Amino acid sequence: MLNITKKAEGAKLEIGLEGRLDTLTAPELEKSLMENLNGVQELAIDCSKLEYISSAGLRVLLATQKVMNKQGKMELSHVSSEIMEIFEVTGFSDILTIL
Amino acid sequence: MKKLRSSIVLKSISGIILMLIVFSLIVCVIGYREFTEELLDQYADGAFIAAETSAMYVDPESLDLVEAEGEKAEVYRTTWQELDRVCNLTGATFIYVIRPDLSDYGHITFLYSTILDGTPYEHYEFGYVRETTNQDYRDKYRALYEGRSDRELVIRDKGYIETDHHITAMIPLRDSAGQTQGILCVQRQMEGLSAARRGYVNKVIVTMIMLAIIVCYGQSVYLRRMLLDPVRVITREASRFARENVHTGKKLRDSISNEDEIGLLADSIDNMEAKIQTYVEDLTRATAEKERISTEMSMAARIQAHMLPDVFPAFPDRKEFDIYAVMDPAREVGGDFYDFFLIDEDHLCLAIADVSGKGVPAALFMMVAKNFLEEDMRQGCSPSEAMERLNALICSNNPDQMFITVWLGILEISTGRLTAANAGHEYPILKQGSGPYEEIRDKHCMALGAMEGIRFKDYELTLTPGSRLFVYTDGVPEATDGQEKMFGVPRLLETLNQAQEETPQRTLGHVRQAVDTFVGEAEQFDDLTMLCLELH
Repeated sequence: MLNITKKAEGAKLEIGLEGRLDTLTAPELEKSLMENLNGVQELAIDCSKLEYISSAGLRVLLATQKVMNKQGKMELSHVSSEIMEIFEVTGFSDILTIL
Repeated sequence: MKKLRSSIVLKSISGIILMLIVFSLIVCVIGYREFTEELLDQYADGAFIAAETSAMYVDPESLDLVEAEGEKAEVYRTTWQELDRVCNLTGATFIYVIRPDLSDYGHITFLYSTILDGTPYEHYEFGYVRETTNQDYRDKYRALYEGRSDRELVIRDKGYIETDHHITAMIPLRDSAGQTQGILCVQRQMEGLSAARRGYVNKVIVTMIMLAIIVCYGQSVYLRRMLLDPVRVITREASRFARENVHTGKKLRDSISNEDEIGLLADSIDNMEAKIQTYVEDLTRATAEKERISTEMSMAARIQAHMLPDVFPAFPDRKEFDIYAVMDPAREVGGDFYDFFLIDEDHLCLAIADVSGKGVPAALFMMVAKNFLEEDMRQGCSPSEAMERLNALICSNNPDQMFITVWLGILEISTGRLTAANAGHEYPILKQGSGPYEEIRDKHCMALGAMEGIRFKDYELTLTPGSRLFVYTDGVPEATDGQEKMFGVPRLLETLNQAQEETPQRTLGHVRQAVDTFVGEAEQFDDLTMLCLELH
């Protein structure tokens, strides 16, 4: 289960993730992000309530990061130590901006 | 089924018969009463005419004299003869003249009485006194005497002549002063009435029975034609369809022309059959399609499984090491793979990898990755070089942002020197010599396909004899139980340390069992892949 909250403010988009970002829920996030990324220059993703991220979830973050590299910046905040561990093991901590 | 059909006709016909019985009963009763009344009226009219006629021959003024002198009086004899004549002419059974005692009308005295010839009875002699028959007579005598009535009629089952129903018509004989001097009575038998009534009832019953037969026959023919036959056709077609599930192309509507509820039913059945037919065809197609996909998927699964070295023991003539590996996809095919092969006599290549996502897309990606890595490693590349080349290849055309985490190593069998690189994969677990299993926090690089132009780095470590190396994909620590709790690396280490001295095959079996016990009834969520190497 994954709850996605969205808050758009001009060119800034804030996304809140709550629950598990895995094979089942990743397509949902991908669809939701791709629909809303047009014209967004600043994307902030709040991971404070994110419990788990699988490789499918990482793929969505990677794809989003690549889109945002072209039109602005993307930042992840409140990343828990468990999720950070996953980012580090997979090397994603090197390409994601984690506050 | 047969019982039900006949029961419709039976019910309908017994309803009709019941109605006819009730109807004929009503007709009988009404007719019987009307008939009786009419006949009585006629008898009464006849009786009164006879009475009026007889009265013309009786002089009321002479009655005192007659009562006093009786048969000796001249007037008695002439009058009696006239009355006797009238009696035989009019068919009245009994004509008599009486005087009641006026105190309480309890007795009557017969002055005259004549009987129709040919009847087996005798008339009363002059002066015969008897008790008044009943209160009815008493009341009527009194009414006639007191001038309250000019004619009275008594209807009785039995009388002096106790044969049949009879009526008695009574008229007063009044003198010139209007005083009643006596009562003249005419009694008539009604022998014809009962016979006529019986005849009437019989006719009604016979007519009704005939009517019932005709209506029942007509009704059953009508029901059969309009209801039973069409219903039977519909029933037969419905059970045929239920059995064969095939529309014959012939519509029920062609054989049933009813423009009523039966017609509607036929239309509905026609419609339903057409729809079910379409539905069954769609379902058959979909099932066939699913069957085909399922067959292809299981073939694909077999092909994928055989792409990986899956014959164990893999190197039966090499005593320096033992190796075992398993891959268990969450779906038919998976995105995980392991690989091992000898590059030359002294160099064993080991690999384990996990493609992002699952199922067919991951499997296609995984096949390409596996072949490329193997090819490059056989050509003498170092793990990091092979990774760089694969990364470049993936990044050159990767619209779906697929990536793959890989741990790749080369073991120099004679020295135990392991050269490895880790592209975003789980930390390997190593049991050095007689020590416990521990995670190696090796140098991590980015997963392959994530970013273009990244540099990958090799690292080295030396395995002492008796060491065991365990590599796995995230399906193992991230196996989840019913409460969304994950198996986790600490539990994995604990499990491994319970089986420190086991062969690689038994070690993997032990881990698998621990994971299965932990997950319980929950669905296997991710591909589950493990590889274990033991250096002797």
